[in-house]
Amino acid sequence: MALVRSELQKLFTTRLWWIMLLVMLLFTGITLAVTIGFAGVEGGQGAPALPGRETLEFQQAAWTAGAGSSIFVMVLGIIMMTGEYRYQTITTTFLTTPRRGRVVTAKLIAGLLVGVLFGLASLLLTAAAVIPAVLIAGGEVALLDGGIPRIMLGVVATSALYALFGIGLGALVRNQIAAIVGAIVWVFVIEALLTAIPALQGVGKFTPSGAAQSLIAVQIDTGFGQADLLPAWAGASVLVAYALVFAVVASLTTVRRDIT
Amino acid sequence: MTAIEIRNLAKAFGPVRAVDDVSFSVAAGTITGYLGPNGAGKTTTLRCLLGLVTADGGTALVDGRPYTALERPLTEVGAVLEATSFHPGRTARDHLRVICTAAGLPASRADEALEQVGLADAARKRVGGFSLGMRQRLALGTATLGHPRVLILDEPANGLDPAGIEWLRGFLRNLAHERGVAVLVSSHVLAEVQQTVDNVVIIARGRLVHQGSLAELTGNGERPVRVHAAEADRLVPALEAKGARVERPGDGVLRVYGVDAEAVGQTVLDERVLVTELVRERSDLQEIFMELTREA
Repeated sequence: MALVRSELQKLFTTRLWWIMLLVMLLFTGITLAVTIGFAGVEGGQGAPALPGRETLEFQQAAWTAGAGSSIFVMVLGIIMMTGEYRYQTITTTFLTTPRRGRVVTAKLIAGLLVGVLFGLASLLLTAAAVIPAVLIAGGEVALLDGGIPRIMLGVVATSALYALFGIGLGALVRNQIAAIVGAIVWVFVIEALLTAIPALQGVGKFTPSGAAQSLIAVQIDTGFGQADLLPAWAGASVLVAYALVFAVVASLTTVRRDIT
Repeated sequence: MTAIEIRNLAKAFGPVRAVDDVSFSVAAGTITGYLGPNGAGKTTTLRCLLGLVTADGGTALVDGRPYTALERPLTEVGAVLEATSFHPGRTARDHLRVICTAAGLPASRADEALEQVGLADAARKRVGGFSLGMRQRLALGTATLGHPRVLILDEPANGLDPAGIEWLRGFLRNLAHERGVAVLVSSHVLAEVQQTVDNVVIIARGRLVHQGSLAELTGNGERPVRVHAAEADRLVPALEAKGARVERPGDGVLRVYGVDAEAVGQTVLDERVLVTELVRERSDLQEIFMELTREA
C-alpha cells in the first residue's frame, strides 16, 4: 500500500486539497445558512418552505447540506488524474510503477479515503451549525435516530464514491478543463434537471445524484411535489455500480495508452 | 556486459514509422550517444525501452528483461525524459519523497539526491520557480534516486548553459566510468555529446544509420586535401595519374582524395601551378553526422 501513501502524499504536498476543502466548507456553510435562516419562516402562501428549527424534519433537512460536498470531491478526483497528464508527472509515475493497474488502484483507494475525509469534514461543520441552532430553538437534538445516521452515512458514502467518479472521468477525458467543465455541467445542469423535473425523474433517479439523494432522502415538498426516488438500498447499489464502472474505465483507458 | 539491448524495434504512429527495425546495445560502464535530427525516432525508442509506449514489434530489454517486468525499476534504471515533468506547486524535496514512497526507497534518499545534483539549497522551494537548468538537475536527481545501473537521458543538455553542460558531462562520466553505470544519452547536436560519449548510435527517419565507437565514425570519413588555384584544372590529370580521386566542388577548387598533402604539393611543384591554398581538410564530426542523417 506504499502506492496509496504515495498518492496521498501527492495530494497533500500541493495546495489544491485545502483550497478545495475550504471551498467545499464554504459551499456547505452557505447551504446551512440558508436552511437555518429560512427554517420556519412563513412563505408567501402561508406554509413555511422549511420546517421550524425545533423539529426533527429541520434536522433531517439540515444534515443533508453536506451532500453538496460531492461535486468538490469529484473535481478533486478529476484533478488527481488529469493533473498527472497536465504536468506530465504521469511519466515519472509509470516509470516508478510500470504496472499501471496498480497505480490506478492506488489512486482509487486514495480517492475513496479523501472522499471520506471530505465527507466527515462537511458533517463536522454541519454538526457545529445544526446542534446549536436546534438547542437555541428549544428542540431536541437527534443524532442517532430519526434517520439521521443514514443521512450522515449517505453524505460520507456519496462523497467517497464521487471521488471515484472524478478519477474515472479524469482518466477518460485527461484534459483537465474539459473534464471539470463536463462534470459541473453534468451535475448542475443535466442531473439537476433530470432529478428536479417530475416528468424526468424516472430517469433522474438512476443518475448518480438521483441515487445519492435516495441515500439522504428526507421527504420535503420543494414545490415540485414529492421527488421520485429509489429506495435507499437501491440508490446505494446504483452509486456503487457507477463507481465500479468508472474504476474499470479508469483502468482500461490508462493501462493501454501510449505515454508520449 | 550488455545493459540495454534493443532488437528490431518498430513503432508506427498512424502512417508514420517513427522507429523502423532499430537494433543496438549498450554495455555497462560506457556512455552511448543516441544521435539523430529532431523527429528521427530517438524519443520513441527510449519510451518503448521504458515501457511508456508499446512497440509494434521487436524487443527492448534492460538487463535482459522488459522494463515493465522489473520488480523495482527505479533501483535498476533511471530515466530523464522531459525537463517539465514536475508539478509546479510541489517542492523539489516533496517531489522526490513522493517517488521514494512509491518506489519503496527511504525518504532520506530524497535529500541525498538533492545534495548530489547541487539542489540542497532549493529543496524546500516549489518547482514552479525553478530555472530550466534546475529542473534538469532535479530530473537527474529523480533518475538516480534508486542508484540504478542503467541511466537513460533524452536530450538532457536542452536548456543548460555551458557551465551546466560541463557539470552534466562530469556527472555522467563519473557514473559510467567510476561506478560502471550504462548510460544512453540522446541528442540532436553531436557537438554536445562528442566529448562525453564512448560510442555513438545514429538514427535518421526511424532507421539506424551508424553504430560504433566515436573513433570509427571519424575514421570513416576520409580527410581530403583542398587546393585553391586559378588553373586548378591543369593539376587534375597529374593527380589522377598518381591514383588520386579528384572532386571539383567549385571553380578553381579541387578536393583530392586518396593521396596525402605532400603528394599534392609535389604535383603542384611539378606542374608549376600557382596555388593560393593547399590544406588538409579537418574531419568535421558535425559534417559527417549531417551527411549520415541526410541521405538515410
